[in-house]
Amino acid sequence: MSEPLQRALDRISRVRGVRGSMWVAAEDGIPVAQLLMEGVKGKAVAALAASLARKVSGAAAATGAGRVRFVQMEAAGGTLLVAPAAQDLLIVALADSRVNVGLARLEMIRAAEAALA
Amino acid sequence: MPDDIRSLTAALARDPKSLVYADLAEALRRRGQRQEALQVVLQGLTRHPMHADGHDCLARVYADLGDLERARLAWSKALEIAPDHMGSLRGVAFLLFRQGDLAAAESALQKVLARAPWDEGARRALAGVRAGRGAEGGAAGAPGAAPRAVPETAAPSPAGQRPEVFHGFDGASADILLLDQRGLVLAGGLTDAQGKDASELAAAALAGVSGEAARTAEYLGLESWSAIVAEAEHSNLVVAPVGEGALLLVRRDRSMAVGLALRFAERARGIALAWLKGQGA
Repeated sequence: MSEPLQRALDRISRVRGVRGSMWVAAEDGIPVAQLLMEGVKGKAVAALAASLARKVSGAAAATGAGRVRFVQMEAAGGTLLVAPAAQDLLIVALADSRVNVGLARLEMIRAAEAALA
Repeated sequence: MPDDIRSLTAALARDPKSLVYADLAEALRRRGQRQEALQVVLQGLTRHPMHADGHDCLARVYADLGDLERARLAWSKALEIAPDHMGSLRGVAFLLFRQGDLAAAESALQKVLARAPWDEGARRALAGVRAGRGAEGGAAGAPGAAPRAVPETAAPSPAGQRPEVFHGFDGASADILLLDQRGLVLAGGLTDAQGKDASELAAAALAGVSGEAARTAEYLGLESWSAIVAEAEHSNLVVAPVGEGALLLVRRDRSMAVGLALRFAERARGIALAWLKGQGA
């Protein structure tokens, strides 16, 4: 794994409440790189996040909203965050309900934009 | 090429195995591009032969082309796969009407309303069929003698005919949409960049999001999901479940802060929930 990708995961995982972050291949939902707390099922998170991102992107296209830049799924027990990046990659974070979503979002968008550069 | 067709074509090109083919075919059909719609939906069904929405779409295309026998077969297939498929139940009512069997059309519409009592289009169609039957002494009449209400149920419901649930909200009939879990519009409306009603297309696409969110939340141990926020190029979307089986979409301009959009959606969700309860749903 390249150093910039790893550094991005380090920064995201330092945000309070984040239980894991990963780079995922958008097309097939396979993890490319990950930094996860114990007990987090990386493969499942990757596959489900990629599938959710595809569905949301389809719905956004149907509503005329255009290309999706960030997706946040809120649930009673936590939050799933997904940001599409370059080279058909997604950056994904799984967090508990204490997460500072604003900060995690900033780090993820920064990482996604850096991947574009 | 219109924006919705361009974006759906791109989405299908990115993921040829996705179910977005049905949305694309429906968009083409609505624009009168029937042969193109037929080609897209037939191709999609070769990959997804058990996709009820796909068969429903195929039936609509055949109905538009005047091939009512193939339309009947396609709607029958959709109902074989999903017996409660609302679009197909409406389609069957439409066919029965076209064949002049008003008694059977009435029965089919009653089935629709038993499952979706809030469906104003079906209610109006039922009233029309009953009026037609009454005018003929209760007997089934010739197709030309019956009211034109039933075909309307198989077509998109104009936004102006939907319940004004979100009256007083900014974008009440252009940016707020309430739908059921099968992707059928309940209230509100969504317009495209040209100001045309895009509610049914959006609803069909959103139904898939709801199922995916539920599956994701359950599998990852996140318990029940409460909202999805999608920040996109032109606008931000908030999708939230409403009661059992309904879904709310709120579209806000990107200039509105995401937190504010969430609060706005929460207010709209409260209104939608109260309205659904009032409908007995």
